[in-house]
Amino acid sequence: MSTLLESHGFTNATLGWKAWLDTVQLDQATPAQMQVLESSHPQAKVSDYYLLLVHQARILEQRSTAFNAIMYAPGGLSRAERELASTVVSRVNGCVYCASVHAQRFEQLAKRQDVIAQVFEDQATAGTNARERAIVAFSIELTLQPNDIPDSSLQRLADAGLSDAEILDLIHAIAIFAWANRLMLNLGEPVFPAS
Amino acid sequence: MTTTPATHTGPDVIDHLVGIVPGQPLHTVRHQRDKVVHATQGSYEALLSPDVEGLSVQERLLVGWYAARLTPCPALEQHYASQLDIDESDAVRHTIAQDQLASLPDARLRAILQFVRALITKPISGDQALLHTLPAAGLSTPAVVALAQWIAFLSYQGRLVTGLQALKRWRGQ
Repeated sequence: MSTLLESHGFTNATLGWKAWLDTVQLDQATPAQMQVLESSHPQAKVSDYYLLLVHQARILEQRSTAFNAIMYAPGGLSRAERELASTVVSRVNGCVYCASVHAQRFEQLAKRQDVIAQVFEDQATAGTNARERAIVAFSIELTLQPNDIPDSSLQRLADAGLSDAEILDLIHAIAIFAWANRLMLNLGEPVFPAS
Repeated sequence: MTTTPATHTGPDVIDHLVGIVPGQPLHTVRHQRDKVVHATQGSYEALLSPDVEGLSVQERLLVGWYAARLTPCPALEQHYASQLDIDESDAVRHTIAQDQLASLPDARLRAILQFVRALITKPISGDQALLHTLPAAGLSTPAVVALAQWIAFLSYQGRLVTGLQALKRWRGQ
């Protein structure tokens, strides 16, 4: 079962998020905006994040399609491992909100939280086995040094058992959180539950 | 505005920049995730569309070039530089290349590029005050959303290009 994790400002608790700019009001949304909200996320109509992004509906539509295809498509890298990469990238970038959401998703999929506790404590040493440690290290590297990925980093992933298709899924999961974190960090802020 | 999926007339930018061609194992691997391929290209086209108001296409290309320099991602830097309508002798371009944003005379461009710099180099450093410099410089909320999405996409695009380039080189393709 999931227990509450709190470390270095990160948590697996359920957080809210509020926008720093005016959001689209549902009663004033165009039919096209409503359609994009409905296809983006089950909670999009009550989420400040989606109600802000839907100011640019076509852009949001493409972004949601990319996000959902990267995180939820069957086959390839396991969904839990994609969520692990997302949590690591969010930890590195300092996105407390994204880290909380994707920590929970990992726990739901993997039925454990040991590696998430490690990531929150110190991502540099996180991973409960060689495969996880390779995934974590690559997530940190592509996030912080996107100009230089040595052959040895890819070889480490292959040695840990990842196929090229799984490595591609991992690159996608890391890259899409370079995108997501920047929006969440710079267009609004997390809201913490009343303690 | 249309909400039907974007139709792609141009060549796939990622394949083009990385040099991924049909017949390569990497092409096969990448195109097994065709939904991602299409939504990546669709995002690129939506973000650079002339239909997006309040931020000119040339401003967006300048943002793309500056963001790629900061990332850094040389292939993307070249891609956006080649589409700019100001060449290397232009004073504004020179000032940006030197990363001397405080010297830019245009307050709007200065605000836009300072936002780019924060998001690309240290995304945690942005705050409410930084965001609000954009409406103060005359950008509407939809224009700010388009700008933020564009910068965030550029972070994604740079890592995708670098990751695929590394995979291609490592596999000797």
